[in-house]
Order: sequence, then structure tokens, then C-alpha cells
Amino acid sequence: MRRCCPRPQAFGLAIVLAFAPSALAQIDAPFEQRLQHWAWKPIVDAAPPAVRESGFVHDPIDAFVLAGLEASGIPHADAVPAGAWLRRVYFDLTGLPPDEKQVAAFVADSSSTARARVVDELLASPRYGERWARHWLDLARYAETLGHEFDFEIPNAWHYRDYVIRAHNADVPFDRFAKEHVAGDLLPARRIDPATGIDESGLGTAFFWFCEQTHSPLDTMQHQADRIDNQIDVLTKTFLGVTVACARCHDHKFDAIGDEDYYALYGFLKSSRYAQRPLRRPAPAALMAAISARETLASLAAKTGSSDALPLDASLAGFTIVGDALTPRAMQHGVVESVDDEAVSVRELEGAWLCSADASTSRDCTMMSPTWKLESDFVHVEVAGKDARAQLIVDGFYIVREPLYGSLRRDISKPSPHWIRFDVKQFRGRSVHLQLLDQRAHDLADPARDRSVYPDDAWFAVRRLATTDAESPPEDPAPDSVQRLRSRDPEVATALSRWRVATSLLPAPATAPGTADGTGEDERVFERGSHKQPGEVSRRRFLRAIAGDTPMEIPSGSGRLELAERMFAVDNPLPSRVLANRIWRHMFGRGLAATVDNLGHLGEAPTHPELLDHLAASLVRGGWSQKALLRRIALSSTYAMDSVARGDAAARDPDNARLSRQNLRRLEGEAVRDAILAASDRLDERPTGPSISVRLHDEERARGKPARQGPVDGEGRRSIYLAMPRNFLPDLLVAFDLPRPVSSVGMRTSANVPAQSLALQNDPFVHAMARLCAEHLLQDGDATDEARIGRWFVRMFARVPNREETALCIAYLVDARTKGGDGAKAAAWAALAHALWNKKEFIYLR
Amino acid sequence: MNAPFSRRHFLRRVANGFAMLPFFDAFTRTGAIGRPTSGGDGACARHHAPRCKAVIFLYMDGGPSHVDTFDYKPRLQQDHGKPWTRERERTQFENNGATLGSPWKFRQHGQAGHWVSELFPFLAQSADRLCVIKSTVADFSEHTNANYFLHTGHGLQGRPSSGAWVGYGLGCDTKELPAFCVLGGGLIPPGGIDCIGNGFLPAHSQGSLFRMKGEPLANVTPKEPKDAQRRKLDLIDALDATMLRESNAHDAIESAIKNQELAFRMQSAVPGLFDLGDEPDWLQRRYGVDDAYEPTRTYARQCLIARRLVERGVRFVELLCPNTGHDRWDQHGNLRGGLTDNCRMVDRPIAALLEDLAARGMLDETLVVYAGEFGRTPFAQGSDGRDHNPFGFTTWMAGGGVRAGASYGATDEHGYKAVDRPFSIHDMHATMLHLLGIDHEKFTFRHGGRDIRLTDVYGKVPREILAAH
Repeated sequence: MRRCCPRPQAFGLAIVLAFAPSALAQIDAPFEQRLQHWAWKPIVDAAPPAVRESGFVHDPIDAFVLAGLEASGIPHADAVPAGAWLRRVYFDLTGLPPDEKQVAAFVADSSSTARARVVDELLASPRYGERWARHWLDLARYAETLGHEFDFEIPNAWHYRDYVIRAHNADVPFDRFAKEHVAGDLLPARRIDPATGIDESGLGTAFFWFCEQTHSPLDTMQHQADRIDNQIDVLTKTFLGVTVACARCHDHKFDAIGDEDYYALYGFLKSSRYAQRPLRRPAPAALMAAISARETLASLAAKTGSSDALPLDASLAGFTIVGDALTPRAMQHGVVESVDDEAVSVRELEGAWLCSADASTSRDCTMMSPTWKLESDFVHVEVAGKDARAQLIVDGFYIVREPLYGSLRRDISKPSPHWIRFDVKQFRGRSVHLQLLDQRAHDLADPARDRSVYPDDAWFAVRRLATTDAESPPEDPAPDSVQRLRSRDPEVATALSRWRVATSLLPAPATAPGTADGTGEDERVFERGSHKQPGEVSRRRFLRAIAGDTPMEIPSGSGRLELAERMFAVDNPLPSRVLANRIWRHMFGRGLAATVDNLGHLGEAPTHPELLDHLAASLVRGGWSQKALLRRIALSSTYAMDSVARGDAAARDPDNARLSRQNLRRLEGEAVRDAILAASDRLDERPTGPSISVRLHDEERARGKPARQGPVDGEGRRSIYLAMPRNFLPDLLVAFDLPRPVSSVGMRTSANVPAQSLALQNDPFVHAMARLCAEHLLQDGDATDEARIGRWFVRMFARVPNREETALCIAYLVDARTKGGDGAKAAAWAALAHALWNKKEFIYLR
Repeated sequence: MNAPFSRRHFLRRVANGFAMLPFFDAFTRTGAIGRPTSGGDGACARHHAPRCKAVIFLYMDGGPSHVDTFDYKPRLQQDHGKPWTRERERTQFENNGATLGSPWKFRQHGQAGHWVSELFPFLAQSADRLCVIKSTVADFSEHTNANYFLHTGHGLQGRPSSGAWVGYGLGCDTKELPAFCVLGGGLIPPGGIDCIGNGFLPAHSQGSLFRMKGEPLANVTPKEPKDAQRRKLDLIDALDATMLRESNAHDAIESAIKNQELAFRMQSAVPGLFDLGDEPDWLQRRYGVDDAYEPTRTYARQCLIARRLVERGVRFVELLCPNTGHDRWDQHGNLRGGLTDNCRMVDRPIAALLEDLAARGMLDETLVVYAGEFGRTPFAQGSDGRDHNPFGFTTWMAGGGVRAGASYGATDEHGYKAVDRPFSIHDMHATMLHLLGIDHEKFTFRHGGRDIRLTDVYGKVPREILAAH
């Protein structure tokens, strides 16, 4: 499959017609000339321009905007009414509307700090992270399954979502957050969440693995190339706002990006692996204490007195461990297999073993061999264990299962040493590594839908790996023996209790998807994008346009750490521009450069380049604080403008490119749903946790359909906590433009389709919430209809109704009550709530 | 078209649901709308006189066996049971057996003399209407990739379906229904609804999935009496009037208000569409609405409703398969039982559809396309099955400007690989667009920094399969 964009040379006029002449000129432009494109140039932090109407300037932002308007003589809009500003800033910062009290308090507060107080409160609210994390998840093409035919689960994917929420709430400096995405597993300084003890740094690397994956491709190299293409696409669009993936088949046609750039980045990803990473890392001392307690206990059963560590077999050299272990070292004494009131059972394995149960069988880890090239018919591995799994990962292909790849997967389910054999004749010449899992539920391809079927006392041990052309293993397996200790024996009891205490001090084993380092490998440039036509080696390095074409110094491993440092070094103008532009886009509905995911030649140039650079510079200067930038924008006069144009601004600035007003914006599906929950007092503000199952239509038989149906109201949880199975996304959110999780989306579409009206008119969720809304309202006893209508208007639109609106609502209620039968009163109010949610004002920000 | 339409005016139209698209191509050429933004351009007017107005795509989920239905191979019958000695590509299950002749008898039909097996007794009678393409090739041997490829011209998730491209490009001739309607029989193809999605195209171009059981379209059933709903909508309209005024009649608000009315109308239009009461009994029987076999009854309704959709002005109708209990057309085993039932499911309804369209004079302007994502191997999988084969298989088209009775291309003597004029999925899409009046090379949409086509950089329109003007 060699998909690429059309080559103008070959395909002539047809595709060229759509390009502007300047784009055409770029096709043959030399690299140096391409570098002149604005986005590559250093950030220029210009002083804010002078303006005539200084009263408009609350922030330097306003000066940049106003100067442009004054120069062209376009009038700026009036300030939006207080209630509308409040509603706007609530939705923009938290994705939720203000309630009646918040509106009343704000309207009553005439002090000059009223707005700042609101903005500070909102930025400090945990709801802020839930709102802004969703923007980020669009970029990460976040989904909780792999899509394709069976929509396999990505185990524990939701931990990434929670990580993004926490990071936004903690206002983690963006460059740190970014580096965690690229190389969080390798960063020497760990970032530990104080509330949960979670090691945040590695969680960011889950980002690479929210891609579609196929269960049974005929060509694993092609599968790897497609996966890495998506990873490069998402990585570069998200952080750099350029489309490096365009250079898969040939140099980028318009931007200063070559195919050697693409394949230089390819190497970093080829050298990286998927792994479930521990959520919390035990302190080394605590882990050592647990290991030593297990050794002491097991040594009581030892037939031999010796505890000298034997050296590991040479075939295990270079093995790496993700999970509970200090370094790969031979286990001393036996595996504590089971413990009860009567006996402690210890299994002694002769020889030097790497074991996942060094501290205890309840701990989890993944062990991996280095990558090697298969040049044998068979791979034999000497193992022992229980409920564990060994897999050969060929060309980075993790969906190891039947019908084509079953021979690469072996379960380890015998505690005595034995050899397992992989027949790899058909994979000769391919790159491979061995992966050992002591928790089958961590396997991307595990067929079990319900992962609780697996016991948590699984373990494995490995002693040797052999590659042979012979079907039989090179030697007999090592002998073993099981010793039983009496639990009540005083010496045993003491050791047992010490071991129990030591293991109880370790964090509970829990994991999240992430990335681990593999063997460092460079890739060759694939001619015309085909892995079957490998060309010159492209050494790993960052983009030539930023970092030159000298290869990077990579001491060992994938080099992602070095890449992360280079990508987010201060001389790269892209990340801060991209971030500032995206933040602006979320606050105004349009980026200063409208194509937020493509600042390259085919994207749109910024309407206010000086302002964009000013914001980017201020981000960096402010320690990459997103909240600080948001605070400035939210408190600017520019942000506070009405969306209705003044004077002839609508005619002279039809697309609002000059920012003569705010943009009228439709709420995202999440905000619509959350606002309905809030209006019905059904919003459950519990943060974080496993996702709430989606409610699906019943009739269709579709592969991979989730077994569980979620409740109509999604337990009242905010929309960000709804499950995201790639092939079965929540209907209501899809109707309101939830993007398909395929590639980075920094700017959702805001389509206007009848499916939205149908959903708001007839969706069972909307009707159920309307009834609830009425029920709660009527609990206020003897309030008048006018008072109730007033309250609802404030709750739903952050303003009081005018006389005409009140009259319309009352007439409607009277009519509905007359025509309804029993329960007409509540039904009439429910109908009114429903009508108000269908009023366009409910889903738009003025 | 000298009117200085602004981009804003243009977008305002396309934003409004199932709008009919104006002459966008003219603007693009003259630069009247300026440099398009990402995700904004690419729609087209017709580049040449169209040969058809609508497409009905009969999607055969799972990959039907061509060597048992339309591609008669005497050599395959002769070699039945013998070991397969020719070179063999890697298959999905790699459980390959001996050469497997077709258990069914073939006969030539009509003046065209198309070979059709006894599995399609009804369709065989309409053989002269078919343009049979015996050299279709696809790029993938795996369902999901192949489904994405067949539908979107690209093997990975996330691209717009061909129906979405057509709907986006041409809009439709009704204000009450979407341009791209999908009639679900009960099975969602591997790859899920992304097969019929809008990808990066605007949301109004996505396939709307109608179901044969339960609520036909998501949320189309009112939850309250019609008069109560009308009163409610009147209140909403009255309340919205203020906002519309205050926003200076903002496009988005205006469109949203219109959509609300459209949604209201759809609530009666859609049930009306599904109510076959106005179709004569004899015609319903002819489709098989009363057939003894339940999947046939379902598919008969789908075919009949497909005609009704096209009559109402819908641009692109796709039919998904009902469930026969044989795991779609995916006969890895139990070839005899599975293929018999699948053919029984579609044979009579499809034949009736072709004849009904012809009788109404609609066949000439409606292109009917029959295709699975690939064909099957001429050698066995195990003893009684066939594995996936994208290297050469049969699809057919009828009506809508294709040459009736034509046969195009050929596979080798066993029916394994296309040897004469291979016809790619891109060619199929190019042909489809061509017949609708669109030049597939000029119909692009800018996304992610590229101008993307349904046919990528491929696709040709073989003149031999086009009807004479």
C-alpha cells in the first residue's frame, strides 16, 4: 500500500488547480527558500503597538487587536452584557454553566476585581482540567480500544485521560507535559502526583498507542509502517503544527520537511515499545525490603545453605524490565507460591533465573529481550510460572493471535521449569523481541473481554533463550523442588510477618499503557513510501529545519529522551506558537492562524502575527503556564466583546479575521450534555476513574460491540468520563461533532445537521433529564410561575427573561396543563425545560 | 455566475443540512472564494453531463465467492480435488486445501450469454441488464482493511465513504432526507460505521443509518403526541426569534432553526418511507417481502425502500446485509450451506429491484452496484470452505449509464487472479463518479495539508463498460 498525496509532476493539472500560485512556486523551491516560511522563523516579541482608544486596552492583547482595527477603521464590538460574559467564561474555562447563585453574585459585584475573581476561581476549579483535557484528547486521538474488526481494548487507557486532567489542573508547565508525552518513561526527574502517589511522568507516553491496530495483517512490516506513520503524524501535528507525515513517500511538496526527516523520526518509534507501565513506582528501598524479606522467608526452605547469586545466562543479556524490579538480576532462593495458615509453599528452581515474583507473586512486570533478527527456525525459552504469557513481537506487531500469529504466543502455565517453543520458520529475517507478561490482562490482544478472570498471583521465571533450527530444546530443563514450611513455626512466622509487612508497604499493583525503550535502531528511507524498497539509512535526529541534519548523540536505547529535549528546546519556535494558537482558538472559535494543526505552507497565515508571537513568547516567559495565558485572554477586552458587530464591521470584516467582535460559537457535544445534566441537578462531579459504558442501539450485530450497556444518563458523570470505544462512540457526542479518533484534531468541525435537532428533540436522555429538571423545580413549594421561569432562564442562559419571554412561557404552561391529564403540572414543566434546551441560546455562546 | 458570492455565503448554504451544492468548482477555478482553508473546499459541481442521478450500492459483506456465482471456470471443475500446484499467495488462515470446483451448475443466460450459477435463478433472468466485471481486484485480504478500502478508497480507518463523497459533492434532491442513506439489514460490517462515515468531510455528508427493525433512524420517533410537539416547537420558534434578531440573523442560528424544522418533517417522512402500504401486493411479493426465508424478507424491504429513497431524490443508497446466521458472505467453511442461504437472501429482491426500476424508467438514471470487499480462493480452505481472495473477483453494475449485457475483464482459468484488464476499487469509484457527472481527478478536499481524492492518485474509467450515448 503506497498511499500518498498526488505528485503534480505525474498527475498534472487536475490536482494543481486547487492550489494558489504561491503554493505552486513552492513545489520546486529549494530548502533554504522553504525555510523562509513564517512558522519556522524565530519568535519576535514585539512591544504592543500604540492605540488611540486606550480605554479598550486591559491587556497588551487588546492593543495588538485594536491597532489593526484602528488602522483599517473598523469599529470594535461593544462589551457583551455581564451575564453573557459570565456564561461565556464559565463554558470556556470549565465547560459548565454558572448556577443561579454564581450569576447573582457576579451581577451584584460591582468591584473592579469581580471578573478576575471569577476567572481565578474557575482556573482553580477541578472542572477546568476536565474541560481542557478534552481539547487535548482530540489531539491525542484518544480512544480506549484499537478499532478495526474486533475493537480490542487498550487495557487501562482511562488512566491517560485522568493524567491529562490532573496535569491541566496542576498547570504542569507545558514543555514538561510535552516531554512526558515523548519520553516520560525516561525522564530522570519523576513527577509524582501528591494526592494519589501516581508516577505521572510515564503516563504521557500512552499517547503513542491510541492508534488503530489490525489483528491479522498479512504483512507485519506494512502494519508497523502504518502504525508509525500515524504516530509521526500525531506527534508532529500535536506539538509542531506541521504535517511531517506528508513526507512518507517523498519530500514534502511545500514545506521544509524531507523524507529523511520522516525516517529519522521513524527510528525513534521503531526503537520504542508498547508496555503496561506501573502507575505507582515503589521506592527502591521499599522494594528492596520486600525482596529481601521474601528471600529470608524462602531461604528457610532452602536445601542448600548457599545464597550466592549465580550469573544469568548470556542469552538473557540486555533484558529489560518494566514494573517492579531494580535491575535484571538472578532471583535468590525460591518463589513463595502460596501462603495460608498451615503452610508456606516455596518453589526452588535450580540455576540462575530472572523472576517476576522477586518480591511477591502479586506484583506485575513485563520483561523484554533486545531486538534481534530471526535467523533460525525455532526459538526456545526455558521458563516456569503460572498464568503468565510469552510472546514474540515481530516487527513491532502486538496483536499476537490466531489465525495467523498464534504460533508467536505461548502461555506459561506450569510452575516447573520447562521449555516453550516458537516455530518461526515463516518469520525468518524479521526483527523480533521476546515479551514476557506476568499479567495476561496486559496483553493488547488478549481475547478476554472481562479481565477480572485472571488471578493476581501469576508469575513467571526465565532462564535461557535459544535459537535453533532443531525442533527440540538444547538441553533438559532445570530441576526444581517444592518445600513446605509450617506457618506456625516461630522462625517462619517471623519471616512471614516481616514479608507481609514489607509487601503491604508497596503500592497496589496497577498499570497504564505506555511506552518502553527498545533496542535503538535507525530506519532506512522507504522509496516511495514502500518498506519493500529500503534506501539510505536515515539516522535518528530531529527536523532539519530546526536542528540541522547532524545526527543526534544517542548513548543507548530509542533516543526519545534526546528527541524530547531537542524538540522542546527554546530555539524551536513551533511548540509555543502552536500552543498559543490553539488556546486562542478555544477562546475565540478560530485560531489566529486558522489551520491550527497545520502552520505550514498550505495552512493559513496568522491574521495577527505579532500578537501570536507575543502570546507564544509570553507563554515561554511565564514558565509555559497555560493558566496564566488563559487568565490574560479571559480578562482582555477583546475576549469580552459582544459577538454582534457594531457599525459596518460585519460588512467590512465579514469573516471576523480582524477580530472586530467575538465569534458566536456553538457548544461542543460534551458541554451540551454536561449543561443538561447541570440544569437537571443530575451532574455527578466525582472526578476521574474508569469510564462509564456507552449506551448503544440494540439491533445491530457488530463485531467488538461492548458487552455492557451503559445507563441512559451515564450515571450523571461529565462527558469526558464516558467510554470511548473507537468503533462505538457515544451517539449524542458524535451528532455534535466529536471527532473520530484517527489523527490529531485541534479544530473540531461545528456542523449544523438535523441529527442534532433530532437528538435534542427526541433522545431518551434529554427527555429523562427534562422530567428530572421539573421534579427538582417543583420542590420549591409555592413559588410563582414567573419566579420559576426566571430561575430557569438564569440557570440556562445566565440572564433573566424579558416580559415577552415570560409571557410566552406562561401561556405555554397554561396550555400544556389544560391539555394534559393527570400529572399535567410536572409534565408541563418538563416540557418547558425541554423547550428551553431546544432554544438555540442553550447551545450557543453569544 | 458573476455574483460576488462570499465564502461566508457559500458556507452558509452548505452548513444547512442536506443542501444542494452550487457551482463550487467554478469558484475554485477563478479563485472567487480565495485560498481555501483546511477542511473547507473541494466540493464540486458536475464536470460533465451525468449519466445517472443516483447510486444504489449493494454491499455484500464478507466477500462472496465469484467462482460459484458469476465466474464460470470449466478448468476449475476439471481440477476439482487435485492438489493446488500453482503459486499461491499467503491467505488469511493459511489452511489451504486442494482445488475446489464449484458444487453448483452454471448456465448461460439472456442474449448477453452471461454465465450465472443456479444460486441466482431470479437474477439470471435479468442477466441482460448486468455489466459483469470479472477482473475486480482489491488491495487487502483482510475484512476490515478491505472494507475501508472498498468504501473509502483507503485501507485505514477515518476516510470518507464513497457515499459521503457523492453526497458532499452533489447534495440531494430532497429536503427531507439525507443525501447518503444506508439501509441496515442487521449486520454492521467489520470496521464499524466508519465504513459509512464522513471522515474529514463535513458532518452532513455522513451516511445516515436506517434500521429495518425498531426505530428506523436514531431519535426519529417523537416521544410526544404530534400536536404537543408542534406547540413546543412553536414556543421554541417564538423564543428563538429574539436571538435570531439580536445576533443579526447569524447564519449558524438560522441554520439551526431550519434544521429543527427539517428534523420535525423527517419524523413523518421517515415512517412514511418505511410504510409500504402504498406499494401493491404483487410488487411486494415480487421483491420477496412475504418470502418464507426471513433474511430474504428483510433484504426485500431494503431493496424496495432503496427504490423509494431514490424516487424521493436521495443521491446514494447503500444496503448492508441481513444476518443469515452464516457469518455474512465469509464462507471459510460450510460453503454449500452458507452460499446457498446468502444467495437466497439477495437473489429475488435484487432481481425485483432491477425490474421495478426498469419498469418505472428509473434504471437508466440509477446506477446499481453489486460488490463485496473481495472474492474467494479457487482452492479450498480446509475441505469445504474458501479463503479470502482480493486478486481477482466479480462485481457487477447495472443501469445508470453502464453497458447492459457487457462482460469486462477476466480471471485466469481457475478464477484466482485477474489476468485481463484488472479493475481496481479505485476504478470502480472513478466510474461511479464519472457516471454521476464528476471527474474523480478534479474532486478534492483539503485535509491535513493535502488535497485528497476518493481515488487517491489512481483510478480510471474503462470506456468499454459505459453505455453508448
